[in-house]
Amino acid sequence: MATASNTVHSRLEQARMELTPTQAAVALALIAALGFTLLFVQQPMLHDSMHNFRHAAGVTCH
Amino acid sequence: MLTDYVKQGVMAGIIAGLIFGLLMALVANPLVAFADEFGHSGDHAVDDHHDTTAGGHHDSAVSMSVTNGVSILSGVFWGVLLGGVVFGVVYYLLEPAIPGAGSTKSYLLAAAGFLTVSGAPWLVLPPQPPGVEQTLPTATRLLLYGGMMAAGALASLLAGVIYNRLHVAHRRVTAAAVAVLPICLLAIPAMLAPRNAVETTLPSELAVGVTGLIIFGQAGLWLLLANIHAQLQRRADMRDSAQPTATQLDGASTPE
Repeated sequence: MATASNTVHSRLEQARMELTPTQAAVALALIAALGFTLLFVQQPMLHDSMHNFRHAAGVTCH
Repeated sequence: MLTDYVKQGVMAGIIAGLIFGLLMALVANPLVAFADEFGHSGDHAVDDHHDTTAGGHHDSAVSMSVTNGVSILSGVFWGVLLGGVVFGVVYYLLEPAIPGAGSTKSYLLAAAGFLTVSGAPWLVLPPQPPGVEQTLPTATRLLLYGGMMAAGALASLLAGVIYNRLHVAHRRVTAAAVAVLPICLLAIPAMLAPRNAVETTLPSELAVGVTGLIIFGQAGLWLLLANIHAQLQRRADMRDSAQPTATQLDGASTPE
């Protein structure tokens, strides 16, 4: 891929230029929601339907 | 540029997630269900008639087929999440700082990802087969799991920083050896964490088998992610060198 920017700092800068705050917020929210659901949700319906997955992923279960 | 990286990460995640979903469907679902039934048949032996009606699945809020289906789907999403976040966003940001070149970067990132998401938390809370009674309350365990994830991420980052600092002046082996230190330091929070005693009725062979499958499944998922990501990356590089991108053209046309 393009080798235009070659430090972590410049990558951050570039991301800031490319993304609007809304896009960044939506992406973060999506990631957080998915991650939280898969790893940490304890609500019985959701939790029980992911029971096998949680064991397979070695995540904290009941 | 960021979107290209994220697309590539999500792509790797979809492929790896589908394969992990297949492992869920063919191996993990039946094995977990079996171990579940096995673990609970011991303590439910007295009231034997109501257990069989629910398809053997212990006091669950949903039916077995829902659990199987949602678990497979979750497995796919798990791959997509890891691919998108770790091989998309994190790879984009950290690519210049990850030691090595080409596919080495993908594999190192996978190792760091495994350590963060599974390895470090498992030091405190090893993966458990179903039907195991754990002494620590769930809320505490969630906190511990999250805390160890943070510790794992920190250790991985430190390892990278140390390696980058050292390998300029020292031999590569020396730099790598010192860089492993922060990862070894993870043993300290692991020892300080409250003990989570477990009690199980499963025969130990079955318990070991299930735990082994869990470790194998997660390690395999990361290996797969790294492999697919490295391949996609190589393909993108070839495409780039075949036809220069807009940014490269811009750079060529404007004299510095």
